[in-house]
Amino acid sequence: MPGLTDLIDWLDSRTGIKAGRAHLLDEPLPPGVNWWFVLGSILLFLLALQVISGSVLAMYYVAAPDHAYDSVRYVTDHVPLGAFVRGLHFFGASFIVIAAVAHMARVVAFGSYKSPREVTWLTGVALLLVIMAFALTGYLLPWDQKAFWATTVTINIARSTPLFGEAIASVMRGGSQLGALTLLRWYATHVLLLPVALLALVLAHLFLMRRHGISGPVTPRAGAPAPFYPYHAIRDTVAVAAVFALLITLAATFRVPLDGMADPSDATYVPRPEWYFLSLFQLLKYFPGRLEPVATMVIPGAVVAFVALLPFLDRRPERHPGKRRFVMAACSVLAVGAGVLTYLGLKDSPARAEPGTFTPLAIAGAEFATDQRCAACHRTGGAANPVSQTRITRDREWVIAHIRDPDNITPGSRKPPPGGMRESQARSVISYLQHVRAGGVAPSSVDNKQGIVVFGAWCANCHIIDGEGVKNGPDLTRVGVKRDAKWLQTWISDPAAVDAKADMPAFEDRLEPDELAAVARFLAARK
Amino acid sequence: MVIQTAIGATVAFVMTRTVIGRALGAAQTSWWPAATMADLIEGEPTPVTIRRAQTDGYRQTVNREVVFLIRTKDQVTALSSTCTHLGCRVSWDAEAALLKCPCHGGKFDRSGVVKAGPPPAPLARFPTRIESGQVMVEL
Repeated sequence: MPGLTDLIDWLDSRTGIKAGRAHLLDEPLPPGVNWWFVLGSILLFLLALQVISGSVLAMYYVAAPDHAYDSVRYVTDHVPLGAFVRGLHFFGASFIVIAAVAHMARVVAFGSYKSPREVTWLTGVALLLVIMAFALTGYLLPWDQKAFWATTVTINIARSTPLFGEAIASVMRGGSQLGALTLLRWYATHVLLLPVALLALVLAHLFLMRRHGISGPVTPRAGAPAPFYPYHAIRDTVAVAAVFALLITLAATFRVPLDGMADPSDATYVPRPEWYFLSLFQLLKYFPGRLEPVATMVIPGAVVAFVALLPFLDRRPERHPGKRRFVMAACSVLAVGAGVLTYLGLKDSPARAEPGTFTPLAIAGAEFATDQRCAACHRTGGAANPVSQTRITRDREWVIAHIRDPDNITPGSRKPPPGGMRESQARSVISYLQHVRAGGVAPSSVDNKQGIVVFGAWCANCHIIDGEGVKNGPDLTRVGVKRDAKWLQTWISDPAAVDAKADMPAFEDRLEPDELAAVARFLAARK
Repeated sequence: MVIQTAIGATVAFVMTRTVIGRALGAAQTSWWPAATMADLIEGEPTPVTIRRAQTDGYRQTVNREVVFLIRTKDQVTALSSTCTHLGCRVSWDAEAALLKCPCHGGKFDRSGVVKAGPPPAPLARFPTRIESGQVMVEL
């Protein structure tokens, strides 16, 4: 009976796998190859892992503005280990940037790019650019506020290109505005074009690496070359295992942030790029107005050109870093410059509230949404899902119309609820739904819920708290700093009695005395 | 070798688990109002469309499910309209008194038993109950 060895022999005779295996494992390495030479293997591992985790995420992702955010929310909140895989992909991207820069720094310090390895270096620089393009295109895909606004900035940077700026930006957007077509083309680039480019460049890089061999230590040592396996393979394996352990620890410990869903009408959002683009973002601040292209094009272009041309600028055969002072100094200046800019950018980042944290309007909305008027249809076994499980996929005006009069939007669903809902109540319910959509859970106990409900039912029609409501009257987010409960209660009862020129209507006839007192207490506590 | 296997096994486990996701979980059922007893004719399969709000992955959908209700005195049987052969939609042929599948000629009688053609099993039945004249079906 033929055994496994026979099968392998047969396969070898048809394919030559034994020679291939030997070619891979017995690669002769110059003496003195040490731990500095594991960085490329780490990078290769991380890139492969990124392809795998990305493929798995793609099984859940939908590249359309109506669905992208919810599909990412679903994989994070509902798929077993989904948040972990997203963590691997998210932190993996940062790891790749770090590993790539470390790998390049090693190559620069060791002078490994020198003849005959100039083209190997060029493929490496191209790989770094591809990695950056991956990071940039991947950033838009979750379709949250951060994604939307950071991409707006990216596209506007491209728009500052002299002469063709407008055309470039339009092609990047797929039209005149950032929307469905933008998301689709960035997604296609991220999962189709760039992976092909990555694969081609990695293969070219590895082929050239094997063709010229590893450069080895700065000063060549005497002795016989050692095969890759097992001497260097064990170093690679240990290093990869250490990096992997660190990556899974991060992915298991930290939740990848997901902001509220992209809202093109929200002008208050301050966009921030990912940390590895922060230095460029910071640079932009020092070149305002017409000088902007200096920060967006000239400086980054010059840096990339300088880095790419290093092997042609630094042509002497000397590899020792101590004897290549100019190159080492120039690269150090670049590294320190990028580091300082990144630090300044980090220091300047605004603090952000968790998108799932309930605001007063959302708490009021949760109260209105548990109302019998909604639950008549929104219940298990009912005509629609329970409101707590409902994810809004329509725009705000649609939802407001539906909440006021369900029959108006879905004819035949049911009669309008008696008295309908006031617009401010509808807005509260939308705020509640948005918070649910962002993964928030309504708090079980709230201080002075009555006051909050009155605010949601009446005040939010003209006033804003925590950025929610309608801006007709003053923002009440911190009204308690200036006014106490007693003053507020008198004012709300009849503003004209306090100030004859007041625009605000009197509420003493519309609210019960205890409601008046509750809302005054709620507002007075806003400090 | 041990380290490589450990890394490979970890990646394989995590990815496989995520790919499986919630695919193997049991489907959730609940009771849906289907018809009133007065709508049903004794012994005659009546197709009713049940609107059921469901979770479809990351989104909510309202599926329309066609079920045949057959009344026998005070009892109601609910038959699936999905042919057990390859999943086409069967319809009631009153003249032949058979539920017929348009795809490969499967035929079922009014209790769902296969009378002709390739179907390997009778039509699926859903639990029913009657609440003050309202027929409820669990699916």
